[in-house]
Amino acid sequence: MAGKSIVNEAHEIKLAIELVQLGARLQVLEVETSLSRERLLRLYKEVKGVSPPKGMLPFSTDWFVTWQPNIHASLFMEIHRFLTANTKARGIAAAIKAFKLYLEHASMDAMEPILSFTRAWTLLRYFDSKLLGLAECGKCSGHFVVNPLDLHTNFVCGLCAPPSRAGKTRKALAATEAVVFSA
Amino acid sequence: MNKEKLFDEIRDANLNYLLLAQALIREDQDAAVYRLGISEDLAELLSALSPAQLIKIASSTTLLCRLRYDDRLILDMLVSHTKDKPMARTHAAILGASRPVEVLA
Repeated sequence: MAGKSIVNEAHEIKLAIELVQLGARLQVLEVETSLSRERLLRLYKEVKGVSPPKGMLPFSTDWFVTWQPNIHASLFMEIHRFLTANTKARGIAAAIKAFKLYLEHASMDAMEPILSFTRAWTLLRYFDSKLLGLAECGKCSGHFVVNPLDLHTNFVCGLCAPPSRAGKTRKALAATEAVVFSA
Repeated sequence: MNKEKLFDEIRDANLNYLLLAQALIREDQDAAVYRLGISEDLAELLSALSPAQLIKIASSTTLLCRLRYDDRLILDMLVSHTKDKPMARTHAAILGASRPVEVLA
């Protein structure tokens, strides 16, 4: 085996730093770079100042099909699809770019970006392994994240037909009350 | 508005658009393709234009950029007075991302 390339390693460290800053968990770094676990651990502590969270990554596909996460996940997937269709960005680079564009959209509207980078990355892996898919809404013809084993004839998305009480959380209520009182 | 002033405004808008497009493409071409809704070839061509060429293209009686969301559904979402504006804008962004880009003929 040829000796380790220092240039390659520098690229990988740079990528790892960017991923940590975006909020990636250690498992993401281990898959996307070939750096050793010890080095990644030290890097994570150096960048974030705290030890990485322990335990498994969230592994359920159900989260992505609940109402609000579904909208965020669908937006991220559509941006990612746009980038891979129209630019040369692929793999982890495309994921990072799509996630940054998603964050920009969320910050524009002061929405909480509930899709974390690790979730977005898992979402892409679920798509690769066909655990999740996209379905076209019959009303707005937008594409939304769905369970591929469900039936999707006459599929209507969560934005065209929001469930009753959707988005009416205690937090949202408190926010509107704060606006009313301050006005 | 008299004609002279109108043409000046069109030229200014054209030049502003071209300069902004160049700045976006130079910062991050992939993100610029998403923001501008143009193909990669077109982005490469735009970013290679010299200032003199930009002025030549901008001096026109017609606007260079056209309304991207020429879709009644998306426009309705953006202008309607819904209670949840961020959600309406997100919906529009989801639909907008699946629209084709402007390609170089």
